[in-house]
Amino acid sequence: MAAAVASSSTSAPQQTDALKAATFQRLHPRIYLERFLAENVRPDGRAFDQTRDVTVNVGSITTADGSSLVRLGETTVVCGVKAEIAEPELDSPDEGYIVPNLDLPAMCSPRFKPGPPSEEAQVLSDRLNEAFIASGIVDPTSLCIHPGKAVWVLYIDATCINYDGNAFDAALIAMVSALRNTRLPKTTYDEDTGRTTCSRKDRTPLQINASPLSMSFGIFESTHLLADPTTFEEPLLDTTVTVVLKDDGGLVSATQVGLGGVGSQDVLMSCIAAAKKRLTEVRPQIYRS
Amino acid sequence: MASRIEILNDGGFRSDGRKQYELRDISIDLSSQSSADGSASVSHGLTQVVVSVFGPREAKMRRETIHDRANINVEVNVAPFSAGERRRRGRGDKRILEFASTIKSTFEPVIQTTLYPRSQIDIYVQILQQDGGVLQACINATTLALASAGIPLLDFVCAVTGGVHSTSPLLDLTTLEENDIPHVTVAVMPRTGKVTLVTMETRLHVDRFEDIFRVACEAGKVIHKEMRAAVKERTGALVAAMGAAPRVAGAGAEAGERDVVMDERIDDY
Repeated sequence: MAAAVASSSTSAPQQTDALKAATFQRLHPRIYLERFLAENVRPDGRAFDQTRDVTVNVGSITTADGSSLVRLGETTVVCGVKAEIAEPELDSPDEGYIVPNLDLPAMCSPRFKPGPPSEEAQVLSDRLNEAFIASGIVDPTSLCIHPGKAVWVLYIDATCINYDGNAFDAALIAMVSALRNTRLPKTTYDEDTGRTTCSRKDRTPLQINASPLSMSFGIFESTHLLADPTTFEEPLLDTTVTVVLKDDGGLVSATQVGLGGVGSQDVLMSCIAAAKKRLTEVRPQIYRS
Repeated sequence: MASRIEILNDGGFRSDGRKQYELRDISIDLSSQSSADGSASVSHGLTQVVVSVFGPREAKMRRETIHDRANINVEVNVAPFSAGERRRRGRGDKRILEFASTIKSTFEPVIQTTLYPRSQIDIYVQILQQDGGVLQACINATTLALASAGIPLLDFVCAVTGGVHSTSPLLDLTTLEENDIPHVTVAVMPRTGKVTLVTMETRLHVDRFEDIFRVACEAGKVIHKEMRAAVKERTGALVAAMGAAPRVAGAGAEAGERDVVMDERIDDY
């Protein structure tokens, strides 16, 4: 104990500086970020247009029909796909269902309180659903077992187990990777009994038509456009822009929340262009065949 | 009857190829999730669980503070894809609340809560995959997460499931075995041999109980070895990383001597 006390009083200047910086970051986050941006760098050392590294791990959960674990920097999302059989809607008898859901539990970050899903989780789930419908990732008619009687329902459940900003991008990658990893059993529908039999051994991979990728940006004080914000930067950004692109770079959706100008310029088009460039670079590493 | 899977065949092998007292592969990952104070991911065979610990920190609700101790809050989240059938369980699900309460009462006597009055220690459990021994995995992961968060504990808490098939005790059961034979989950503190949890929800003859209880306690010690090795490895990595930082002259020699003394004491266990 004595040695520890001695070392802190005669400790190297770097340690007291680090403590001062951490305190400043807590008390004046906005000015802290401003000072970094003035030097053309962000607090974690990235450039303004740089995204964090992504690692994807598929197939680790065998109870699920498809699964993935994605790390975008420190943001970690686990996703599992379960397929069940249900009756189709009356007005679309040959279409199955795709039900994505993102959970942001209290475990992933101190900013989420325990309780029913927060508004943020529900909004993100809805946006993910929109992205799936717009990109046509899985054709609902390919999930049909017997028209009017039996169709597949794909429940895509993603849980964030660590949150460091930008859950949408991480969750989209996780869900798409889990779908790409999904294998459905071969089925036979018996007309007489109305029951569907699933093969225990025979499984076929899901038919995937598109693999959307997204990139999110935030605008700080109408002066700087920051890509892939962390949990420190997020509350300080007044506008966020998310761009979702398909395999060929085609635009699936663009969402902007907030007024969104840098200087007097509208940034949506430049975000889309930046996303196109970046995503074509990283796509082969994220979605490996 | 031909398709019935044998729990324990004549050669002494179980349905997954293990012997009677053989435990499943344990994998422990202590690399922390950045926002949590401590976290651990533990898998026993196919059962996989992630636990994150926050605390001690200011209690979110004033009325839950205790004037002379820390309040322990446990929340369990079961992933819908974790079991064979997809089931979305709400937070208020009685089974899950019972689970959380079991974990809380297991750790209440072990965590030195008197050191942190009026604060709160949050334990969040996320169950990713279930293949039997879920409570066992949760308790082991919670111990490691608490240790990783630097929260003082009286001892490790190591849990294992045990069951009896006709007269033969089995250890570390899978879902298949749990559905078939009576089983018990035992959590022990290996240094003292004290037991902090015994839970059983199936009917078991009292003569058989003694055997399985004893065997489970022994198995707890085996799991303890694995957990200690994981913690030691992680601490070693942290120390090596810190060792790159500037050192104060004079403290080095003393610290070196202290290290030797500590190693001897650890090896005694």
